[in-house]
Amino acid sequence: MNKVDPLPLSGDATHRTPSSVGEGLPRQNRALRGPCDWVLSTFSTLVLAFVLWRVLSWAVVHGVLGTTPQSCTDATGACWSVIRARWRIILFGLYPMEEQWRSATASVIAVCTLALACMPRMWSAARMVPVWLGGYLLFLLFIHGGVFGLDVVTSSHWGGLTLTLFIYITVIAFGLPIAIGLALLRQGRYPVFRHLTAFIVDVTRSLPLLTILFSATVIIPLMLPHALQGDKLVRSLVGFTFFFACYQSEIVRGGLQAVGRGQVEASQALGMSYWHTTSLITLPQAFRVAMPATINQFVITFKETSLVIIVGLFDLMASAQAAYHSGQWSAYHTEVYVFVALIYFIGSFSLSKYGKYVEKRFQTLR
Amino acid sequence: MSHPITVPPVRADGMTAAVQMSGVNKWYGRFHVLQNVDLTVKSGERIVICGPSGSGKSTMIRCINALEEHQQGTIVVNGVELSGATKSIEKVRREVGMVFQSFNLFPHMTVLENCMLAPVRTRRLTKDQARERAMHYLERVKIPNQAGKYPGQLSGGQQQRVAIARALCMSPKVMLFDEPTSALDPEMIKEVLDTMVTLAEEGMTMLCVTHEMSFARRVADRIIFMDAGAIVEDQPPEAFFSNPLHARTRDFLGQLMH
Repeated sequence: MNKVDPLPLSGDATHRTPSSVGEGLPRQNRALRGPCDWVLSTFSTLVLAFVLWRVLSWAVVHGVLGTTPQSCTDATGACWSVIRARWRIILFGLYPMEEQWRSATASVIAVCTLALACMPRMWSAARMVPVWLGGYLLFLLFIHGGVFGLDVVTSSHWGGLTLTLFIYITVIAFGLPIAIGLALLRQGRYPVFRHLTAFIVDVTRSLPLLTILFSATVIIPLMLPHALQGDKLVRSLVGFTFFFACYQSEIVRGGLQAVGRGQVEASQALGMSYWHTTSLITLPQAFRVAMPATINQFVITFKETSLVIIVGLFDLMASAQAAYHSGQWSAYHTEVYVFVALIYFIGSFSLSKYGKYVEKRFQTLR
Repeated sequence: MSHPITVPPVRADGMTAAVQMSGVNKWYGRFHVLQNVDLTVKSGERIVICGPSGSGKSTMIRCINALEEHQQGTIVVNGVELSGATKSIEKVRREVGMVFQSFNLFPHMTVLENCMLAPVRTRRLTKDQARERAMHYLERVKIPNQAGKYPGQLSGGQQQRVAIARALCMSPKVMLFDEPTSALDPEMIKEVLDTMVTLAEEGMTMLCVTHEMSFARRVADRIIFMDAGAIVEDQPPEAFFSNPLHARTRDFLGQLMH
């Protein structure tokens, strides 16, 4: 590092970490220090500008926003007409046309529930449980119906963004508590449960999600009597949730291991029970440590919901394909994929940004 | 508004043993950490325990609130025997405050929340009662103005005083101190010792593992010297310092003086 540092080392050199070496320098010197830096920076800026220009020219300048496939015949840019004409399929799949407001409402409820659960002030069991229970039941009420004069729409008709959100909140809402339970059992004082959970978690983690989804939808029906099968969506959700729980449980366990033995002892010495110690002392601290990995897992899971296409569930990805598959729109699959990618991006990117916010908040608490 | 530190009355007949250990043995694998420990601490007594490292001092006082399990013998704390049953253990722990070498404050809670937590959860105090009590003890340890801060924002000495206040908020009948000043910078040791002296003068039953001999001389009713898992010497301070009965005690004291 000394070679790069143009300043004479002042004071105690051993206290300088590599990352702090440049901090005393003027800002521009850090980015552009030599001719090599100049060339690289100029080159990459040019490449970026070129790409941006191409994208804008395709999407905006030459983009067409009509209503029919014919509106795009002469287009040299993007044909957004396909989105305009088919957005209902993309967002709601095969949900009955005249009932799609219910699917839309359900989506809004799912997003609101997630947003509520993300607020630090909601982070206690006493608030989390009603939020999730309320959000989940409301979601089901709207999408499934059967009460308050709403017609029943069976799960085989659910689809699009709404189904993706449903899969996601189900996996998170059920998977996270299971993950915590598995982590606690694996850390716990009962050897039987320790070994059993270790075995279950390690086996599940050694299987691809695709295998688990296939088993849940294809193999389980062969083994169980019809009455016990539940429908395909439920079986896939059970498999997916468990898969997520196993991964997340290892993240939680890592966090638990980072909490010092002294914390548990201090809590015990105050006469606190195992549950109070766990829920008020160890778990909150474990989650602070495990937050980056947890957010990572949440982002991965959001994108992995698209794998359910493989067992014939009509999620956002599947309905996007259906949207351009009807002969006349088939030339415009790029536009559809860009649109869907944007939706996934908004979801994943907000999660990452949220993770940053939470980490920062935890840091100021230390 | 005032909460005197609760002290059970010391009966003249001396029948209220706060802590009674008899024939206590403990092994870590094949290592015999506690060997036939017999110790009776009366209510209001102040005991200082010293000895070389690895002599079992900490293990002994950690057995009193069952942070360590003993394998032989009986330990009775405030009339409750530690039998290994969770209920009896939690009952004992609520009456026995402990202060650790490394403070062990909960870093994700403010000073005030640290002090309010256990009274609310285990003593069923309302939040207002717990807050009032916490502020009272934070004033006693002279840091009420830090109540809203997080432990990480305090100095070591302040953290240890918060830890003492946190333990006192449970209105314990016995206080255990496990080398409370060993992790502190020299200039902070005094503020913690002063707090402990005040506590001792108010009649709290205390067992302190410490090497602060001036503190021992000033407040202890008895000083216990442990070596190799056994209690070697158990004497009032004057006799302990001027006329130790055992050669090992003399050696130890000799080392401390240098």
